[in-house]
Amino acid sequence: MTSYMTNLAFYVPELIVVGAMILLLFIYAFSGGSSKKLNTILSTVAAFILVFVGYLQFGFLQAPIQEIFSRSVVIDQFGTILKMVMVVGTLGVIYMAMVSQEIVEDLKFEFIILVLGVLVGAMLLVSATSMITIYVGLETISIISYALSALKKNDDLSAEAGLKYVLYGGFASGVMLFGMSHIYGVLGTLFVYDFPAQLASLTFDNMLVLVPAFLMFFVGLGYKISAVPFHMWTPDVYEGSPVPVTTFFAIVPKVAALGALYRLSTVLIGQETILATTWITLIGIVGALTMTVGNIAAIGQRSVKRMLAYSSISHAGFIILATLVVDQIGSRSLVFYAIVYLFMTLVAFMITGAVSDKYGNDYFDRFRGLILRYPLMAISMVIIMLSLAGIPPLAGFVAKFNILAAIIKEGYYTLAVIAGLNSVISLYYYMKIVRLMVLKEAESTEDIANFSISVQSVVIFLTIPVVFLGIFWETILAFANGAQIFIK
Amino acid sequence: MMNLAAYLFISLVLFLCGIIVIIARKNIVAILIGMELILNAAALNFVAYSRYVTHHIDGHIFPLFIIVVAAAEAVVGLAIVIRFFQIKETIHIDDATQLQS
Repeated sequence: MTSYMTNLAFYVPELIVVGAMILLLFIYAFSGGSSKKLNTILSTVAAFILVFVGYLQFGFLQAPIQEIFSRSVVIDQFGTILKMVMVVGTLGVIYMAMVSQEIVEDLKFEFIILVLGVLVGAMLLVSATSMITIYVGLETISIISYALSALKKNDDLSAEAGLKYVLYGGFASGVMLFGMSHIYGVLGTLFVYDFPAQLASLTFDNMLVLVPAFLMFFVGLGYKISAVPFHMWTPDVYEGSPVPVTTFFAIVPKVAALGALYRLSTVLIGQETILATTWITLIGIVGALTMTVGNIAAIGQRSVKRMLAYSSISHAGFIILATLVVDQIGSRSLVFYAIVYLFMTLVAFMITGAVSDKYGNDYFDRFRGLILRYPLMAISMVIIMLSLAGIPPLAGFVAKFNILAAIIKEGYYTLAVIAGLNSVISLYYYMKIVRLMVLKEAESTEDIANFSISVQSVVIFLTIPVVFLGIFWETILAFANGAQIFIK
Repeated sequence: MMNLAAYLFISLVLFLCGIIVIIARKNIVAILIGMELILNAAALNFVAYSRYVTHHIDGHIFPLFIIVVAAAEAVVGLAIVIRFFQIKETIHIDDATQLQS
């Protein structure tokens, strides 16, 4: 048993992020009122701290797997890589918020502090191994997310989005807790990695309580992943929130909850119990439904942001399938998909955000003729859309291929067919926006202020990995291969 | 003499009451109260299980976390409800329909 201070050494990145929140709050409090200059300083400080935190994670990639804080938290490579993804996502989102006109200057510092808070919760959730840490991590994400979605204080849509998020979120976490309490009662432990030992010696009566309890547990995680049927809040919250907040919701909480779900799956799958069978069936059905419902609902959308919200639901469904494969190939495909999804989501939302800032809405028609006015942006958007649809040789294809290969290896052929069909459906609505951008004439010739040189270069910088990872995917796959998950 | 089954029954009733309140009531504040009922049901379960089954301190620690987190959630939730009320001048859930799913 290592001492408490030694444990803290493994928790330095999270502590730095917490410290950054406090530091930024103090800088703001003692500078008197917000200004553009102050916001620039705050965002630069936050960016440097996040880069440092991301850099620290590289150190943990080499270190041996470590259980800390009385076994409540585990530092393993799987969690570390997902933390990197979330840190980069937060960094991108902070940049988006800085250039966004939707979030007014007064609110930008609040936004930065709040996203750092969510990041702490998300980092706790991916490395949580006890039900207490899972609950605290999930609620840290949730509670701060409520405030984030209601960020535009005087906007009725934003207030409504926050309200819906609170109501659905509180309900889901309550149900999850009720499930957790019965799991604790039947298995007699809070620690996820102690479950298998306890599961072995259970009677049928115990299972009668335990199976519904685990279903309830899944509600809480599924709600954060926005898995069908707990996705009802997603389109509303995504539409009502400012674009940078939507981007953030589509990346950080989702990746964190998927990490936690995967950790839970590694514990439950692999034994010959009713519970394992139920869990596999549940994840298979939920994954298939999430992909299908997300894709079909995305077809009829008028707003690009709402379309991207539904498309992020269907991508989450794809990643859920990866949680069925509990060996190295599964964790590798999940991590790879998360990395690719991060870049694709950031670029797609960045371009949408710039367009919607200009016109006040983000309907499909606003993208008409973008290729003549901003060729680089239009080409990036086309690349991202093709990648999201999974067209080779882009990164989205390799990511989907990895997950398909993993689930086919385990023999889930039906799921693989459903996933393949879904990629075809998704092509339809992704191509709709490509067609408008490339083949139609522009509505107006006014400049879009938000496509400044810096934004364009960031978009291109983030698009390059999507092309690069599609062709030279071995490098990043080797990196993802190191995503070893702690198994007791 | 109370036994485990009695506690579990009470908590189940609390849980169901919470769900019924959330589904049936249209007042947003009432819905928030319904959530608290669900959280308390879970907390009661933890304490009862740790008293009668596991005899372990973990089950007492968890409710403390639940109480703290529930308080934080209520703070943010009520703040958003107040903001919603200031904009719309109503706390009826049926008036929150501008965003259509």
